Amino acid sequence: MAEADPQAAPRVAPKPRASLWPGVAALVVATAYLITLLAVERQQLIMGLLALAIVAFVAASWLGLLAPVIRSFAQRERALGALAILAVLAVAGYFREDHFVLLLLVTVLLYTVACLGLNIQFGYAGVLNFAGASFFGIGAYTSAVLNAHTVVPHLVVLLVGGLLAALIGSLLLLPVLRTRGHYAALVTIAFALLLKTFLEVNDVLGGPQGLQVRGMQVLGWSFNDNISIGGIELSFYMSYLALSMLLLVGAFILVLRLERSWIGLNLDAMRLDETAASCFGLNPARWKITAFTLGNFLIGIAGALFGMVGGFVAPNNYTFADSLILVSILLLGGIGSPWGVAVATVIVVVVPEKLQTIQEYRFLLYALLVIVVLLFRPEGLLPRPVRRYFPGWRQ
Amino acid sequence: MLAAVLAASTMSATADAKDKVKVGFIGPLTGGVSVNGIGGRNSAELSVRLRNADAKAKYEYELVVLDDECKPNVAVQVATRMAADKEIVAAATHYCSSTAIATVDVYHKFGLPVVVWGAVLPDITYRNKYAEVHRVNGTMINQNDANAELVTKLGYKTFAVIHDTTDYGKGHNQYFSAAVTKLGGKILGTFGVTADQQDFTAELTQIKALNPQVIYFGGLTPIGVRIRAQMDRLGIKAVFDGTSGIVSDAFIQGLGPLAEGSLAFREGAPTEKLPGGKLFMEKYTAQKYDNPPEAYGAFAFAAMDLILDTIEKVGPNRKQVIAELRKTKDRDSIVGKITFDDHGQNTVAVITRYVIQDGKFVEWEDSQYASGKRKLPGQP
Amino acid sequence: MDAGLIAQYVMNGLMLGMMYALVAVGFTLFFGVLDVIKFSHGDVLTVGAFTALATFVGLSAAGIRSDLLLLPAMLVAAIAAMAALGMLIARCLVLPLRSAPALNTLLVTLMLGTALREAVRLFYPQGANPKPFPALLPAASIPLGQFNLRLDNSIMLAAGVGVIVGLQLLLNRTRLGLAIRAVAQDEETARTMGINFNAIVLVTFAIGSALAAFAGLMNGLYYNEINFGMGLLLGVIGFTAAIIGGLGSVYGAILGGFLFAALQTIGAVALPFGSAYKDVFAFAVVIVFMAWRPTGLIQEKISERV
Repeated sequence: MAEADPQAAPRVAPKPRASLWPGVAALVVATAYLITLLAVERQQLIMGLLALAIVAFVAASWLGLLAPVIRSFAQRERALGALAILAVLAVAGYFREDHFVLLLLVTVLLYTVACLGLNIQFGYAGVLNFAGASFFGIGAYTSAVLNAHTVVPHLVVLLVGGLLAALIGSLLLLPVLRTRGHYAALVTIAFALLLKTFLEVNDVLGGPQGLQVRGMQVLGWSFNDNISIGGIELSFYMSYLALSMLLLVGAFILVLRLERSWIGLNLDAMRLDETAASCFGLNPARWKITAFTLGNFLIGIAGALFGMVGGFVAPNNYTFADSLILVSILLLGGIGSPWGVAVATVIVVVVPEKLQTIQEYRFLLYALLVIVVLLFRPEGLLPRPVRRYFPGWRQ
Repeated sequence: MLAAVLAASTMSATADAKDKVKVGFIGPLTGGVSVNGIGGRNSAELSVRLRNADAKAKYEYELVVLDDECKPNVAVQVATRMAADKEIVAAATHYCSSTAIATVDVYHKFGLPVVVWGAVLPDITYRNKYAEVHRVNGTMINQNDANAELVTKLGYKTFAVIHDTTDYGKGHNQYFSAAVTKLGGKILGTFGVTADQQDFTAELTQIKALNPQVIYFGGLTPIGVRIRAQMDRLGIKAVFDGTSGIVSDAFIQGLGPLAEGSLAFREGAPTEKLPGGKLFMEKYTAQKYDNPPEAYGAFAFAAMDLILDTIEKVGPNRKQVIAELRKTKDRDSIVGKITFDDHGQNTVAVITRYVIQDGKFVEWEDSQYASGKRKLPGQP
Repeated sequence: MDAGLIAQYVMNGLMLGMMYALVAVGFTLFFGVLDVIKFSHGDVLTVGAFTALATFVGLSAAGIRSDLLLLPAMLVAAIAAMAALGMLIARCLVLPLRSAPALNTLLVTLMLGTALREAVRLFYPQGANPKPFPALLPAASIPLGQFNLRLDNSIMLAAGVGVIVGLQLLLNRTRLGLAIRAVAQDEETARTMGINFNAIVLVTFAIGSALAAFAGLMNGLYYNEINFGMGLLLGVIGFTAAIIGGLGSVYGAILGGFLFAALQTIGAVALPFGSAYKDVFAFAVVIVFMAWRPTGLIQEKISERV
């Protein structure tokens, strides 16, 4: 009879892959909730819905329902990602004629792209950037100027917006590289103030009055005209929504792949301990430059598209306070977590718009919320999961 | 359960005798010029209230109020929200010119008919020929002509211009400089400042070196107050010559005795002297609002009245309201007869010239400065 | 250029520099003691100014009209209130986060600043409007050619100098000052020497915030107006000035404050198109300066444990 070799490692049955269903269920519930929240107008109903959401979240967490959902998302990301895209399209389809809700959705999508860029800088590389809104504005102003004065195709304008944001960001590279901590914070804060003041006093770029931005036109299809397919009338924001969706999916995939690649590993190492990382042969300067430039590129593209959606750019849209909002979205959702960023953006953009009574108080509430989060749950709503180092390692 | 919530929200209220119609109002309800915005809002709200109390009205009106904070970017956001809401049929919009000029394209994009009640920049109606945009108050061209005429008649020859860098201030600079140069005045220096600038010592020190007799200010009350106060701090003894932007109680409150002897001009007669002015003031005070109607409250009332009249006539349909507004000719209102030209602009012929005397805006002709009992600084 | 005009520019620069210096000294004190940048400092200044205004409104409504009574009352009220606020912030937000990454403290104080600013805007009656501040100092002026020497400016300048000198005396000649410097130098050793760390931190925050209140009052008296946003720019400029002079050094902070004011004034005078670009110029110089000297004029010796 063969004896079991005492040195052999015990046989452990591999855990099955997490089921798809908890994730799907969560998505369906979230979509239905979002549609209801966006459709309802009466303030009391909205407040009721928000209270319901908080209660449901807390109850689910207490009952242990959240863990399977998180596992499901972590392991079935591709399938659930595709379903999330369908969910957004479903919401958009429901509101196909409502200009304002579609505008809100486009805002959420583009802010998410910008925050993903910020996430690369802050969350992965640890580079402080308090001028996120300024780079957003650079992209927007690029589309304003290029659309009005040149015949550059509008899709190329988006790219140019991103490149210009990255380029201007590179002016800050030397001070950013040489400073740490609060000194680094000062550099980007000073830049944010400088850019806003510059845009305000400079008449060429419209001054405080701002510039009108021509709507997007791709191959003769004007994005600013309402669409009618067959008998169905669609708001003109649908075209922008489609493009923003493409942009978001691209940015999301980029960020996820980046995190899992050797680039992401290097960025994390550099963020956690610069001295140790450089002992291992990583060049911190190189990685900081990569992260900062890539992040600004994404922010710039999002800004360029948003400029065309809104049709108007002005220096007051891109102040230091707006940069702080982007940072608070990042903190709320969980630094380094792309899904967290998406959820936090929805909360930060949609809730004040719907709950008109708090519209005036929204800056105060964001600030207080972030303070509370930082004091009691610094990881944010959907914290970034611990990196999986071994392929096939299941949670 | 969510379905039940959806059903509850879409269930309409029990049928009233009249259909509900929504109209809009946009003005600066917060920020430095909020007294004007609130005055305008109260006046528009008064108009809606009186109409709802009228049994002969065909519809019941609901006023949707949004705040543009006198900032162009906020204005575009709230204008987009108002125009994108298909239930709002028409709106009375904007006191600040910087916001009004930024939003004309939005109203045109969404097809919302608007009547401007307080912004004076000519470009708002004249830059484009948008059928949606109308205005009941006058433009700044006439007030600057009258301004230049008065100061040159008083014998002043040298001027310095301070204007804010929004289109409003730039417009004032453009029209005043042209008018005063034509009448023989000499502009020694022009200074652009931001609309929320705090410290003017740099500009004013340079102006002190130039030594003008009059400092013309093209901008709004908040920085007007600061400039006048800092003029005193630096010992500059020139005449402070302002525009309709400083015709506000907040200007006098902010400066106290320093406001004495400042000039201001605006189109339209003072509220009490308007054709329907007394009636308007009576009804306004009866409502016991916290704020006075300020300089443009009467125009806000007239704008809202015009909108309501038009909706009564053609129904709550945006396209038809636009078509009907275009035909407005010699329509009676509390500010006189309203006629829109082919750009939607009403002509307001009267220009009122004010000087601040003893803490009040006094018409020039009635003041002691005109009769010679008091003299403006440096009056030849 | 006329000598009187130059004198006028110098006076403008001095007033601005004094205000920036007062804010910068606060930043440097906080950093020295706790290695923390309290970004809400500028907004504490705003709250201090509004407290003084509220005191004025309250006392005037109660019938007190004498300037001699009002001004000290406002000063005392603002300073006491802000010292209390500073201590509260230290106790509830900064001390608990000492073990967290420095980024968290930075963000918390940034957000706190926003919260303070918005609270003033929303909860002070008509807070969104700029509010006229009473002119309580004698407004007599002596015109010396092109230069207008005003009594109230001179009084404020003298008072500012007095406060700074007083602070230096406090830090260098008293036991409390010794304790503060000890804690700033080495926390652990100071503790082993019997210094009550928490108490010293609270006292330092109180002093810094009191300075901010004084600067806020000065600001109100100088411009005869206060508004809820005044703290944001002042805070950033104060922070910049503290960094230029080197964080942790009081002399550096004062120097930085006057340097920044000089930068702005030179920008206003020298640039051809204007005084509009003076802020752009000043901030651009700061960014370039940070590239050259990342830790300010007085080099910080950083050692890191790996």
